[in-house]
Amino acid sequence: MKAFVVIFTLSFACVFANLQCEHKKPNIPTDWIDMGNPCVVKVRNHVMEELKASMQYMAMAAHFSRDDVNRPGFAELFFKAAREERDHAIKLIHYLLMRGELTSDVSNMITKNLAPNVTNWASGATALRDALVLESSVTKKIRGLIIVCESDPSFNDYHLVDYLTGDFLTEQYEGQRDLAGKLSNLEKLMDKHGALGEFLFDKKLA
Amino acid sequence: MKAIVIFFALVAVVSCSDECYRDVVATCSNTLSKQQGVLTQCDAKYGAIENLEGDLQRFANSLLYRSFDFLLMATHYGNYIKNRAGFEKLFRGLSDDLWDDGINTIKYMTKRGARMNFNNIASELEQEKPSLELFELQAIGRALDIEKKLAKDAFDLHKAASGHKNDHHDPEVAHHLEEKFMEKHRDAIRTLAGHAKDLSSLLDGPDASLGLYLFDDYLQK
Repeated sequence: MKAFVVIFTLSFACVFANLQCEHKKPNIPTDWIDMGNPCVVKVRNHVMEELKASMQYMAMAAHFSRDDVNRPGFAELFFKAAREERDHAIKLIHYLLMRGELTSDVSNMITKNLAPNVTNWASGATALRDALVLESSVTKKIRGLIIVCESDPSFNDYHLVDYLTGDFLTEQYEGQRDLAGKLSNLEKLMDKHGALGEFLFDKKLA
Repeated sequence: MKAIVIFFALVAVVSCSDECYRDVVATCSNTLSKQQGVLTQCDAKYGAIENLEGDLQRFANSLLYRSFDFLLMATHYGNYIKNRAGFEKLFRGLSDDLWDDGINTIKYMTKRGARMNFNNIASELEQEKPSLELFELQAIGRALDIEKKLAKDAFDLHKAASGHKNDHHDPEVAHHLEEKFMEKHRDAIRTLAGHAKDLSSLLDGPDASLGLYLFDDYLQK
């Protein structure tokens, strides 16, 4: 009985010792928040797409870092690409925040199933080829995003579309050209000088 | 006949020793020329890295996924209703640090001849579905718990590497964790604990909302 009373008073003490941690939700007009829902959902999903690409690059970087692969130039190239993809995800998050979005359901925006599908590559050239394919698939998804956001009958989101075409697509096309050029040089080198070609190319990358 | 004798002699040499040099001799000899270029014994593995590999993989994955948790916590504080740029900056910084730690752990593993496995994820990490949209003091508390759990993971790895588990003794792994991880995390934990102390005293009074505003302003600096 005594113990019960003690527990009871203790629990009361806890309640009364509560700090004022929660504060009143402010009352702010919402008519400035004008993004269409299908567009918002698409952008949120694209955050995950960028992170998936990031982890795929991370797997390439981990592969070329291995002692029995030993291509530090390729590894650095792909670690850098992994960082860039994460930065793209963060840029999209910042954009949504600027437009008044992401006020709820943020916790489930990034799920814990980002393990990359492919983790082994036969050569530097196959990895560059995969990277180019990955970039073009991301480009396609950004174009899909643009189409959804500009063809919402109730709201054509010019501003986001301009940001996606000007910023994101520019980076995609420049990145793809860079990868294609690298792959071209590497393939020409390896045509006559297989192992030596890849060795020299890797040292140039580092 | 002579070839057979040489072959058996070589097999004997290879089987009684596992050194890289023997491997090279065997690979470079004419009789085994078909195995050219395959030096299975010339890897970077030494010490107990093979026995610590799985734990290091889980550790690297935890660092990367926790960096995403902090990114979402930062996102929550960046929305117009919360609008706490200081808290956003704090959690974004924690996210960036764990992301870098994750990459550095992968680089470290490959330095020691180990490989990364992105599917080797701690089960408690996969199962949990935490809310990351928290009030300020709650968020500091959750961040402190996350950092302490990672510190404990590092301590467990260190304990195994220090030889308290059979066949795990690897002072180089222990040293790496001490130098590259533990010192930084000690400071992160101390900073968060300090924030928890300050914030709890600021919230204990009639000016709680003003206290929060000023504390967020301080975090922006």
